[in-house]
Amino acid sequence: MLLQQIINGIIIGSSYALIALGLNLIWSITDIADFAQGGIYVIAAYVAYYVVTAAKLPFILGWLCAIVIGGGLAYLIERFLYRRWTGKSRIQLLCAIALFFLMANLAILLFTPKAKIFPAYVQGAFNVGGFTVSFQRVVVLLVSAALFVVVFLFIMKTRMGKAIRAASQDRLVAQVVGINIHTVNSTVFVLGGMLSATAAVLISPLYAVFPAMGDLPLLKSLVVVILGGFGSVAGVLVGGLGLGLAESLGSVYISSAYQHGFAFFVLILVLMFFPKGLFGRV
Amino acid sequence: MSVLLEVINLRKEFGGVVAVNDNNFVVEEGSRIGIIGPNGAGKTTTFNMICGAFKPTAGKILFQGKEIQGQRPHKISMLGIGRTFQNVRAFGSLSVYEHVLTGILAHDLKLVPTKEQRERVEMILEMTNLVKFRNTTVKDLTIALQRKIELATALGTNPKLLLLDENMAGLTYVEINETLELLRKVNKEMGMTLIVVEHIMKVIMELCEKIIVLNYGKKIAEGNPQEVANNKEVIEAYLGEESQYA
Amino acid sequence: MGDIKLTADTLKPVPVWRRFLVPGIILILLILVPFFASEYVVYVAVLAIIYAMLAGSYDLTTGYAGPLTFCHGAFYGLGAYASALLTIKASFPFWIAFPISGILVFIFAFIIGYPALKLKGHYFAVTTFFFGYFVYLVLLNSAKLTGGPMGLRGIQAPESFFGFNFATLQGSYYLILFFAVLFLGFLYFLVNSGFGRMLVAIRENEDLAEATGINTALFKVLAFSLGAAIAGMTGSLFAHFFRLLHPTTFAWMTSEMIVIMALVGGLGTLIGPIIGAFIVTFILEIMRFAPEYRYIIWSLALIIILLIEPAGLMGIVRRLQRRKR
Repeated sequence: MLLQQIINGIIIGSSYALIALGLNLIWSITDIADFAQGGIYVIAAYVAYYVVTAAKLPFILGWLCAIVIGGGLAYLIERFLYRRWTGKSRIQLLCAIALFFLMANLAILLFTPKAKIFPAYVQGAFNVGGFTVSFQRVVVLLVSAALFVVVFLFIMKTRMGKAIRAASQDRLVAQVVGINIHTVNSTVFVLGGMLSATAAVLISPLYAVFPAMGDLPLLKSLVVVILGGFGSVAGVLVGGLGLGLAESLGSVYISSAYQHGFAFFVLILVLMFFPKGLFGRV
Repeated sequence: MSVLLEVINLRKEFGGVVAVNDNNFVVEEGSRIGIIGPNGAGKTTTFNMICGAFKPTAGKILFQGKEIQGQRPHKISMLGIGRTFQNVRAFGSLSVYEHVLTGILAHDLKLVPTKEQRERVEMILEMTNLVKFRNTTVKDLTIALQRKIELATALGTNPKLLLLDENMAGLTYVEINETLELLRKVNKEMGMTLIVVEHIMKVIMELCEKIIVLNYGKKIAEGNPQEVANNKEVIEAYLGEESQYA
Repeated sequence: MGDIKLTADTLKPVPVWRRFLVPGIILILLILVPFFASEYVVYVAVLAIIYAMLAGSYDLTTGYAGPLTFCHGAFYGLGAYASALLTIKASFPFWIAFPISGILVFIFAFIIGYPALKLKGHYFAVTTFFFGYFVYLVLLNSAKLTGGPMGLRGIQAPESFFGFNFATLQGSYYLILFFAVLFLGFLYFLVNSGFGRMLVAIRENEDLAEATGINTALFKVLAFSLGAAIAGMTGSLFAHFFRLLHPTTFAWMTSEMIVIMALVGGLGTLIGPIIGAFIVTFILEIMRFAPEYRYIIWSLALIIILLIEPAGLMGIVRRLQRRKR
């Protein structure tokens, strides 16, 4: 039972970490807490759902469609909305929340509030020390881990990755040394969109697909970014997994209903003592 | 004359950078002090510490004998220290009249401004030659005028000590003379102590009785304008060492 | 935090009668509603009046003091449930529960606000958003106390006072209208007082305000808590009028609608959010036949407003006034 909870915790935590990774990059470069990613999360899940169930195409295609749409939406949002208000962060935030509001309600309109069951991509399970672990969950873990490694390498080794790191430290100076901030912004948003989409597609088979599914993951992931730190891939990973584990174990040993509130308490506690987040940057 | 402000072993480090390096100086009541030095010498950082925007890494600041370092800016303002900022700050959407009134209300909050308070606004607007702009929105005015408004607002809070951080940047010759007159007036008639950070030599030479020179965070000279102007270290700080090959 | 003026500028003082013209007309219409309109219209009017109080109190915090918050719906809900529970479980009369709910929400907001308002930029906004969601979760899950998803029923109407019967539709309507005028009038007085000036200074340039001697932390928390308290008491009025509470009424979508109403009207003008509340409530009711579209239309409207005129309706009005000079 404990192992089950730990695995669940790691899985849900990895989805937080994935979303938070994208949010982290976006936030540290553009100072926008991109609530719209929550909306993209929802839309991506439905896209994959329909590709797999209605069009009866393989899961890989479902995932690909989801990330194309996710990345595309994120790109368009940045390019035609956020970019208009460079420096006006209150308006950008209001727009982000409005977009989240919009997309969540669009999902209600187009797909009805009734939850849809996303079929598992992999059937079957195996036994570990007396506990059953479904292959589905293993896939989720492996894919998440792989993605983290890929993004980490991207940020560390590629030219664009270096540009992103530079911009996240000092936007102005990065431009002065010749980095095209627009390209960096677009890349970061597309990346964020794809990560949110992936998180959605990974989680959907384990929990259902419904219009409000983005609310809590978005909020938790925002908390993870604040806790895990800006420009820190490792911090986001640790924060995300940590939160997921805490929630999962807390739901068993403390209270099932309030596991979602746990993140809030952690946030308040941390911000009381570290108003700039654990790794400190506004 | 009694000592109004005392800075003792003041030090400020930002990570590995020492912005203010164990400085000591004393400001007497009613005096006019200038602080000069090349960019990055620590002048604004010193101001920031006096006004509470930064906490010193070490050292003390005594105002009227009491320690004020590390206190919040609004408390320090209430104690009687006013300041203007290097990059001009203003309440953009307000009219000039309201801007000055805000400063006065901040120190003496009333639900409805009193007649005396309103008269005070008029007086300050006259003193600073801003009467014709009284109903103009501040953000619609030039930076030079905004600096004046900043000064006027600070005056409204009736400070005992006024810190001016490059308040006269970008002013014309005539405007500078106007402001100098104003500053001399408040210093003489209201006994306001002034500390001025400036790059404009005219201001420093004509206004200040004593000049403190900072370089790389350290005080390298202190004295009256003549002494400082002839001080070798000061000249070196600004112009570099005298060349052996000159 | 980079910022444009979400708020309309101050201009030359408008003559008093002109300032009160539109609100005066609205007030007269509202007084006449129960005489000439159907019950349905009365219900809509009550909703509009309630939203006007919510948007107005929101403006105090966000329009005047500055920080963007997304938990106003939560304060509304806390006040509603507090008042309802005090009357149901503790047998308090409404007239005691009503002010107490305001005090409770004030204290709550003060405790949350004091540390939270130290946060900069989007951190604060995210915290308030999560706070709002958290309150919703608590309301939803405390079934024993609040009835949870089944809702809280059996709330009584306010007891009679000076011979006025508040159990009737007309009676309770006028009660709410009375308090709306009271609260909004109080807010009007507050924002135009010295206190309001301090808030505006903080909104315009917090560092300068602090350097000028304004205790920015204290004023921000006070504005936040007062706005919350009024929202809480509005919640109490709501609870005793509709006599049924459900947590979804106070979820983040409500907070978002309050933000939209305030923005439509124009943050920082008080009258703007009030008018915005009426406009939005009116249109929402017209669209009552297509409920799924309502929120979509308004979130789109918000984006369009941000694109065209972030200072809202009052911003447009001011722009036109400037052109006329």
